[in-house]
Amino acid sequence: MNSRTAVSVIVVILSVLLQPLSTWAVERAEVEETARLLATLLESGRAVIERNQALIDNPHKGDKGFTPHLFEQQLVQEFRGKTGIDLAALPAAPASIVIPPLAKELLPALVQASRDVVKDAQVVINQRGIGYKNFIPATWGSQASARFSTSSHVRLKQTALDARNPKNEPDEYEASVLNWLSARPRAEAFVSELTEEGRTLRVVMPIYYAKDCLTCHGEPKGDLDISGYPKEGHREGDLAGAITVTAPLGTR
Amino acid sequence: MGLSDRGAILIRSRWRNPLWPALLCLLLPGCGLLIDAVEQVWPVTGSKVDIICERERVQVGLAMEPFRPFVFPTIWTDEGARVTGLDVELIRAMTEELSRRCGRPVVPVLHLVRFRDLFRLLNEGHLDWFVSAVATNTPAPTRAGVAYSLPYFYGGGISGITTSSDVLHRVQANVQEQARHPAADRLAATSHALDGLTVAVQAETSAYYYAEANLSANRLLVCDSLPAAFEYADAQTEPRIDVILGAQPVLEYMVKRVRKDWSPLVRENGLPLFLTKADYGVVVAEDSYRLRWLVNDLLLKLEESGRLQAMRSRWLDEDYAFPRRASLEGLPFDVEKMAAHYIQGSCRLKPAP
Repeated sequence: MNSRTAVSVIVVILSVLLQPLSTWAVERAEVEETARLLATLLESGRAVIERNQALIDNPHKGDKGFTPHLFEQQLVQEFRGKTGIDLAALPAAPASIVIPPLAKELLPALVQASRDVVKDAQVVINQRGIGYKNFIPATWGSQASARFSTSSHVRLKQTALDARNPKNEPDEYEASVLNWLSARPRAEAFVSELTEEGRTLRVVMPIYYAKDCLTCHGEPKGDLDISGYPKEGHREGDLAGAITVTAPLGTR
Repeated sequence: MGLSDRGAILIRSRWRNPLWPALLCLLLPGCGLLIDAVEQVWPVTGSKVDIICERERVQVGLAMEPFRPFVFPTIWTDEGARVTGLDVELIRAMTEELSRRCGRPVVPVLHLVRFRDLFRLLNEGHLDWFVSAVATNTPAPTRAGVAYSLPYFYGGGISGITTSSDVLHRVQANVQEQARHPAADRLAATSHALDGLTVAVQAETSAYYYAEANLSANRLLVCDSLPAAFEYADAQTEPRIDVILGAQPVLEYMVKRVRKDWSPLVRENGLPLFLTKADYGVVVAEDSYRLRWLVNDLLLKLEESGRLQAMRSRWLDEDYAFPRRASLEGLPFDVEKMAAHYIQGSCRLKPAP
């Protein structure tokens, strides 16, 4: 065998060996991007609820007009502002690395779950004469995550080191990431890691306290907030928690 | 044995062979309607208790209007919409006990409806029972056809609250004046304490019936709910509200925790001024005899175990935030059967007779 033939054989062997590796890398990149987009969408929904909190808690108004349709409109707008992706045009958008096929499938499902929560909460939101109704970003997010996760193979979860809801307690991995994040300045980043011997990808996206959150989570520490939980004494920009997206790899 | 039970035996003995009614049904179009009509008179499937155990669900009514701390406003939790309060904990405890009696899990299906609709729905058979701080001794024609259980709350009754110290002193002076005539009719004497005042009450509650029957020298504002009365007063609408009458434990909770700008009507010695006293019970249909025995027995067991006392103390004496309790222990309700949403309504002046 001459040297030219030998090189050709090596190239062929390498390409055969590396093909699964490159496919796997592409899948990981797609799942990672999908997870990041899902977390961003959930965060967008939380932001929409937060922005409408005064309206939702207005005791003098019955029908608040905060309909599932209006919520969806604002959600789409918020998400577009954060990612540049127009969810309304998603079905027609070509699949790419910016919008992976998995994201095209899962983002609408999360929008639907998010919208359904607002729909079911109408009976609570539209009470007149009642101020605080506990329809806040965290409770909306818990329900939206739970509904989405039951209808998909991807799991969404809100978590925090000092979680008020026991269901949002971090597991060992989440706690280690949250501890790592809390020791660092605020950054628009996320942590992505393979777990379960590479079978699962976990994306953890941090959430930080905004000014409006501090009514319940700020100072004075230990005082009870309106819902009866002791305030944590946090400041604007502190790490509030994270959105965790857990997705299996190798399903395609 | 009640009429219903006798009827059931009568039906069973006549239709020993189950094929006959089935054959008859084939011949009769609209037979389901006929059976429904017959069941209203002779419940062929057994007593209400058997039916509840059989269907593994108990249909319980609860007022949409908040009667804190008995029923708090519905709120959103991580689990969805929930309602909480002393009455809700009572429903939970009674259902747990009922499950043990039935030998299978029984789930409470909560119907959150307007207070005034609870009586109608019970009479129409849509509810097995209801509970919402209902006084067991209110003389009112609209409350016919219902019966009350043993009390689960003692020492309630009708009292009032005001924002005006002048009104408070005036009422106290009137009470003192009436006390100088010990032989006088107490009911008349106490009601005279409010003479000349504008009084607000929630429609079709005990306070409403009390006011309608006994307060002739007053302007009466009839409100759809307690929050509506507060809103009317806050807006300083004419005629201004001098006193809101209602269930004393509810008003006491409100002035202590929610509306601290209001004060309770009290006697010179500082004790609440009760216009009448009442215990609160569970409401069942008058002809549901076995169910009433059962409800009484469930309550007695809860009382004897100390659980009822613990519940009362938990909701009336402790410091807590109800959203937290709603998250941890609140009950879901049948959203489909609830009115579109709670509207506190408004107040209107009752025309003088």
